[in-house]
Amino acid sequence: MKSFEYTITDPVGIHARPAGILVKEVKGFAGSTVTIQKGEKSVNALKLMALMQMGIKQGDTVTVSVEGGDEEAVCAALESFFKANL
Amino acid sequence: MALDYRKCAEEIFSHLGGRDNIISAAHCATRLRLVIADNSKIDKEALENVEGVKGLFDSNGQLQLIIGTGTVNKVYDEFLAVTGMTAATKDEVKQAAASKMPLWKKILKTPGDVFVPILPAIVASGLMMGIVEAIPKFAPAFGQTDWFSFLDLVANTAFALLPVLVAISAARVFGGNIFLGAVIGLMMVHPALINAWTVSSYVGEIPTWSIFFYPIQQVGYQGHVIPVILAVLLMSTIEKWLHKHVPEMIDLFVTPLVTVVCTAYLTFTVIGPVFSVFENWVLAGAQALITVGFGLGAAVMGAIYPLTVVMGLHHMYNVIEAGMISSTGVNTWMPIATAANIAQFGACLAVALKCRNQKTKSVALPSSLSASLGITEPAIFGINFRFMKPFIAGMIGGAVGSLFASWMTGTDMNGNVVKFGATTYGVTGIPGIPAINNIPMYLLLMLISAGVAFAITWFIWNEDEPKKQTANGAPAAKTEAKAPAASVIRCAAGELIQPTPGKVIARENIPDATFADGILGDGVGIEPSEGVVYAPFDGEVTSVFDTKHAITLEKNGMEVLIHVGVNTVNMNGEGFEAFVKEGDTVKAGQKLLTFDSAKIKAAGYSDCVVVLLTNAEELEKVECGIK
Repeated sequence: MKSFEYTITDPVGIHARPAGILVKEVKGFAGSTVTIQKGEKSVNALKLMALMQMGIKQGDTVTVSVEGGDEEAVCAALESFFKANL
Repeated sequence: MALDYRKCAEEIFSHLGGRDNIISAAHCATRLRLVIADNSKIDKEALENVEGVKGLFDSNGQLQLIIGTGTVNKVYDEFLAVTGMTAATKDEVKQAAASKMPLWKKILKTPGDVFVPILPAIVASGLMMGIVEAIPKFAPAFGQTDWFSFLDLVANTAFALLPVLVAISAARVFGGNIFLGAVIGLMMVHPALINAWTVSSYVGEIPTWSIFFYPIQQVGYQGHVIPVILAVLLMSTIEKWLHKHVPEMIDLFVTPLVTVVCTAYLTFTVIGPVFSVFENWVLAGAQALITVGFGLGAAVMGAIYPLTVVMGLHHMYNVIEAGMISSTGVNTWMPIATAANIAQFGACLAVALKCRNQKTKSVALPSSLSASLGITEPAIFGINFRFMKPFIAGMIGGAVGSLFASWMTGTDMNGNVVKFGATTYGVTGIPGIPAINNIPMYLLLMLISAGVAFAITWFIWNEDEPKKQTANGAPAAKTEAKAPAASVIRCAAGELIQPTPGKVIARENIPDATFADGILGDGVGIEPSEGVVYAPFDGEVTSVFDTKHAITLEKNGMEVLIHVGVNTVNMNGEGFEAFVKEGDTVKAGQKLLTFDSAKIKAAGYSDCVVVLLTNAEELEKVECGIK
């Protein structure tokens, strides 16, 4: 399992639209399971509703972990996706 | 806000179930009146949501769309262009509709059909009479001038010869020749007959004819209405029968001659004597009704008056009113009509001032003004009857006002008792002021009626009331009556009913790429007509966003996101209110959120309500769009 930490800079946090594009991005890595963790709670990044219910806001730090498939590459791709979009 | 007439007409047409389903179309001052072949083929809810349509009513076999004064004719022109129909007159529509109407309604409607076309003559004469007779009260010398006698003559012409107007109009309604109708009317007030108004002061024996089983008095029918209508009905029937049976060669001279002679004979021998007595009973009955039981009768009339407006039967009172003016000179019915109408104004004004919904407000305000001028249909159909409580408040206001009116008797300058009433009919509310014989009392009457209706509406009516009842477990049918629960999304696991009233648009047309592309799931957008979100099913609230502009719900594996507006997260909850919280169990139709469309638009965002099944791909047979 590979993971990275990221602090959200998007002023609205992981709200509907950002969550939507994140889910779309994650769907591209079919072989891997991506989990997003904030504090005690963690969700599968494919689950849009669950993701939005996390209520992740600007300034919150989340841990993104990747399991299965080409963990390294997926992790790197996601990290740059987060930086660019979230 | 200028309405796109073409678009409005096109949208209306699209919900009517095709060209073949429309029998005819016409319009009146405020409504587009359509006769529909099969009512089940039309989409009433969608029609109500068409921009420009303020309300919809199915009455007397007609589908009536309330559009508004000055606008309806333009929409109508476009409607004809869109459908390729030819202009039908209102009468044609009424005839087409009449075939779908029960007999008792037809009978009650006839006097109205006869009296409405002659209203301009009555209003002109009546108002003038009111003014001319009022001046001498302030300036007694005026009563002696030539001007007074001249104006008085002009003013009372229409009333003195009323049977002629009634006969012509009745001939049109019954399909007879209007000139033959005029002859019948003129004959009944022929100057050679003794005037019915002066017959009591006639010196000597009243001459009679021996042309029937009993002597017929040579007296005219001044001031009578019912015998005239029936005489013309008879005339039209005879005329039409003869046209069918008389050989064409001689039809031109035989039919009119036989028609007039037969009608004249039967009118003076049977119809006239019998029905003038009947008419006197009706008038006495109406007079008694509005004075009986210390005014209770009047109160009942004031209360049910708007119901007869709803059924379109209120013009039948014209017969009574015309009769009252002709026989006593005072229309004591008019204050009751005013009380009833002005109460609807009060109720509608209360709605206009209390409601927050911009669409409701924009309908309620002009409608209430129109009601204050005596035209209550926009207020009743557009607002009061739709919300019901204001309508009932209006009925109560009308009852109280009528009670007051029946207690009012004044004295004229000679000390005689004068009944409170008007010198005309067909005008109520503010335009009725010149025609009334006691203006301060009339103003007080309007204040009481409107005030009561306003106050009751203000306290018992709330914008969201009907939906709340459902939330409390009241029968859902009640809500459905107002907004039939159309489903917007369906799948194997269940369906979602439309959560927000308004126009449903395809997901692809939602003004935001993320929603439109379906990244967040499949669903629809709604252009809201009301700033409220109701639960689309019985289910559980899985989250309410801090900013209260979005909510997620779950039921039977269906995950639903309802998102109000686009980018509205930036408004930080300003203008939004949530009525439920995470973990709540909700019932279909329960209020979840409210929002202020005006504020959203002012902030520069779209107020489109997005309804998405976020896990659409995990579900089977997902179908979006209104059904």
